[in-house]
Amino acid sequence: MTETAVEARLTQEQPTRPLALPLRLAVRQMRSGFDGFIVFIACVALGVMVISAIGGLASALVTGLESQGRQIIGGDIALSRMHARVTEAERASLGSIGVVSESSTMRSMARTVDGAEQLLAELKSVDGSYPLVGQMLLKGGKDLDAALANGVVVEPILLERLSLSVGDQVKIGSAEFTISGVIEKEPDGLLDRLTYGPRVLVSTEKLVDAGLAGPGTLIRWRYAIALKGPGADEDLEALEAARNKLKEKLSASGFTIVDRSNPSPQVSRTLERLRQFLTLIGLTALIIGGVGIANAVGNFVDRRRRTIATMKSLGASNRLVLSIFMAQILAITIVGIAIGLLGGALIPGLLKALYGDSLPIAPVVSVEAMDLMVAAGYGLLVALLFSLWPLGRAEQISPTVLFRDQVGEGSAFPRLPIVLATALIALLLAVIAVFSSDTPHIAAYFAGALGATLMVFYGLGFLVVWVARRLPRPKTPELAIALSSIAAPGGLTRTVVLSLGAGLSMLVAVALTDASLVRELTGKLPDNAPDYFMLDITRGDLEGFEKLIIKKAPGTQVQTAPMLRGRLVQLGGRNVEELKVPAEAEWALRGDRGITYSADVPDGSRIVAGEWWPEDYSGEPLVSFEKDLAKQLGVDIGDTVTVNVLGRDLTAKIANLRALDWESLSINFILVFSPNTLAGAPTNYLATVKLPRETSLAKEASVMKSLAKDFPAVTAIRVRDAVDSFSKVFERIMVAIRVAGSVTLVAGALVLAGALATAQRRRILDAVIFKALGATRFRILAAHAVEYLLLAALTAFFAIGLGGLAAWIALSQVIDVPFYLSWTAIFSALGVSIALVVTLGGLGTWQVLKARPVPYLKSE
Amino acid sequence: MTTPIIDLRQLNLSLESRAGQVDILRGVDLQVRAGQSVAVLGPSGSGKTSLLMVIAGLEPATGGKALVDGQDLRALDEDGLAKLRGQSIGIVFQSFHLVPTMTAVENVALPLEFRGDDDAFDVATDLLKEVGLGHRLRHFPAELSGGEQQRVAIARALSTRPKLILADEPTGNLDGETGRQIVELLFSLHERFNATLVLVTHDEHLAQRCGRTVRMSDGLIVSDTEAEPAL
Repeated sequence: MTETAVEARLTQEQPTRPLALPLRLAVRQMRSGFDGFIVFIACVALGVMVISAIGGLASALVTGLESQGRQIIGGDIALSRMHARVTEAERASLGSIGVVSESSTMRSMARTVDGAEQLLAELKSVDGSYPLVGQMLLKGGKDLDAALANGVVVEPILLERLSLSVGDQVKIGSAEFTISGVIEKEPDGLLDRLTYGPRVLVSTEKLVDAGLAGPGTLIRWRYAIALKGPGADEDLEALEAARNKLKEKLSASGFTIVDRSNPSPQVSRTLERLRQFLTLIGLTALIIGGVGIANAVGNFVDRRRRTIATMKSLGASNRLVLSIFMAQILAITIVGIAIGLLGGALIPGLLKALYGDSLPIAPVVSVEAMDLMVAAGYGLLVALLFSLWPLGRAEQISPTVLFRDQVGEGSAFPRLPIVLATALIALLLAVIAVFSSDTPHIAAYFAGALGATLMVFYGLGFLVVWVARRLPRPKTPELAIALSSIAAPGGLTRTVVLSLGAGLSMLVAVALTDASLVRELTGKLPDNAPDYFMLDITRGDLEGFEKLIIKKAPGTQVQTAPMLRGRLVQLGGRNVEELKVPAEAEWALRGDRGITYSADVPDGSRIVAGEWWPEDYSGEPLVSFEKDLAKQLGVDIGDTVTVNVLGRDLTAKIANLRALDWESLSINFILVFSPNTLAGAPTNYLATVKLPRETSLAKEASVMKSLAKDFPAVTAIRVRDAVDSFSKVFERIMVAIRVAGSVTLVAGALVLAGALATAQRRRILDAVIFKALGATRFRILAAHAVEYLLLAALTAFFAIGLGGLAAWIALSQVIDVPFYLSWTAIFSALGVSIALVVTLGGLGTWQVLKARPVPYLKSE
Repeated sequence: MTTPIIDLRQLNLSLESRAGQVDILRGVDLQVRAGQSVAVLGPSGSGKTSLLMVIAGLEPATGGKALVDGQDLRALDEDGLAKLRGQSIGIVFQSFHLVPTMTAVENVALPLEFRGDDDAFDVATDLLKEVGLGHRLRHFPAELSGGEQQRVAIARALSTRPKLILADEPTGNLDGETGRQIVELLFSLHERFNATLVLVTHDEHLAQRCGRTVRMSDGLIVSDTEAEPAL
């Protein structure tokens, strides 16, 4: 009795165990192993691995951030604000909950005493109780208090850049200090700064005495608090209570408050966004791999047609057939998921071991069940999405297959429940992807773009086959063979176009977005961009400063504006914490913004609604708002805006809306107040300096030296250096995105390899027949080459178009950066496409050419 | 005496298998004159198909000498052998071996295209009409019955007007009636084109249609009989 006959008997004999039977039969079917499912398993494993690794890595960084929260913020709670030190009353409030340490940070110029060398430094002042948490390590084990009593301590890079040593004098702004020590490790150095320059640490007392923290200076005062009481550093409730108490007492003080449980909401948010975005890319890889899954299941079903027909002829129902095959597919999916999860769980640890030292936050690697479950869930859904359809066709196979010599392609359409289940899973995936994102509209764009891409390439596959069938047969046999292979029913064309096309589109989109962003950030700065931003010019120095610069470098354009920093606290009479604003506008409500006042419309601005105030305006406080942000924040002309400046609230009415040209890097402010609003506030000036185009580097250095000599307190930030410094941070993020983006191509390559492997036997047989009919090896090689090149080029062409469109939409609609058509990116994509297809196909062709004909001719 | 179109002398074919060397042909001597029809009979594993494959240049002999249409097969490289097949040999397989991605007419035209003939499709169309498939020109193999596929294969084998037709159990995969029709077709075309026919078969009746019968056993020719010319 055959195996299937026994199975059929079991069907009839054991009707009381409906669930056990499909499983038992599935296990028997799987005795032949996972042959033909390698690509299936690899596709599931790759996608699951990427998603779980991204989740694991993000969790490790977030946990790292949280577990080092106390160290990072230098206490349990930290408050900070610009310009204004605490008042006595505020200090008393802080002191009531714990031990307080005061510090401040600002940018300043560090120079050699003769002014020959200078650089931008990150100046930080500390009091005697600093640090409350952790330890400040100085080279040679020096004592911090003693060192600060004698002078300043600096990072080694400053000594190197200014050619100074410990014991030498250094000028910070207009004051002179002795270098009394070298910083080896700063406990809370991480989150204060986007590093523009080396750290210089000074005692607050000395900072104030030297006049470096004068009124209007862009200085941030910071208060770290270590909670009182035993076990306070573990007690989350006490932390929450203390934080709420401070918030209540200091509500109008303009402080930004963070605590050790979330030491940097901005970094946490960035990590979360990055995790969400990379997960979407991982999901894309999984979905592209889905094509491989569908192919594997389709081939599996084809190989089992006779078995299915036999089972049916012996009495197996459609449902039983579907259950048996579904059980096998699920088992294989679980194997893929398990491999993926294992890899995904190992990757964060591996990355930590390799790159842990270069990360600003020490990741705390642990296996988070949630990360694994999310990845496994996505893996399962995608595997089901792409398996159901071919499985649905399996149950439609008729027993008459047994009586036919040749089996046609079969076009059975799955039953309606299968079609609906497939659609439902697709919808579920899209819903999860969109609603698990902080920026659902971006995720929705992404899901829509992915769906559209898959449909375009699916359609393109059909179109290519359709056109190839209708083209007149070329005279050249190589072309004719290539074209007939492309047109072949059930051939490689559709799989190659779909898998390679989708993977490549993603790569092109990432590459073009990347190229546009990099160009925007590192390319030639706009012609009208300034060369320097000058900070902390006092009102008294302003005129002299401008005169000197024009004298030293005639033709220099100097633009100045008074600048303070303030925090938006109310919009339209409502506290900003209560406002629900779109994600892209949240930045404006976080932390401080530069604000200014002006009697005239500032350069680079254009009034688009409302009226500018008269030059001598003295009525109620007015403010001019940037138009796009006003729209996003839901405010309009006539609404009130409250800003906390120097620890007090200022309320003004929106008088007009302005359009800004941000890219010019000229002085732009979101908020420009009428001069009378800020008349009493001590302000310093910000200046942009644009040197004449022909200015040499030596001349530039000499101008800066003269400025440093006469205006030592002015801080000069070279725009090029600042942009480069930001680009370095950006570059690291782009590496992560590029790596994730290339994973989609790896998924495409896997699918391609699977499809080629499946087709290999057929291709060898074809080649053997061609040889038997008189074809030389060159002819066969040429036919394959033409086929692969045509498919690869055509696919790349569409992928470039679609990927370019996606990048253009992302750049122009979401990121707001001009689209740059990078030919390098495009030719790389074309090259990668052709290289992949030709390499994988070439490997196949090599085997085709060296195959011995006889076994194929005899056995078929 | 004219030069034989097939001249095999002490032909050997040995293949390596996991169990060691297997001697498939052990010193075969065979000369076939142009225009002859030869049936090669023998039990399974006697070396019939291998002999045919060596003559076709699809399997290189490991010893002895093999001349086909005056060319020493062992002196030709793979591409030289392919050209020889394209010029002089037509092969009909038991499993038809049509190219599934090509229509009937494209399959038949293919050897002519390889040879560079401009009228490949006209010749192929005529041939298909001749074998009764004028209405199936644009059908793919999967859309044809077994008998129809074998007729396409015969038309393809004859498309280049080869001097030598090699047929490996051409009716092996066909039912009795279809097989008879195919045999009629094969012999009528062999006669019309005056081509040499070497036919590997198990079928004694089919063998009797041939002018000469060669029997093989265990890699050797054990008998070689030529029928009396019919009066």
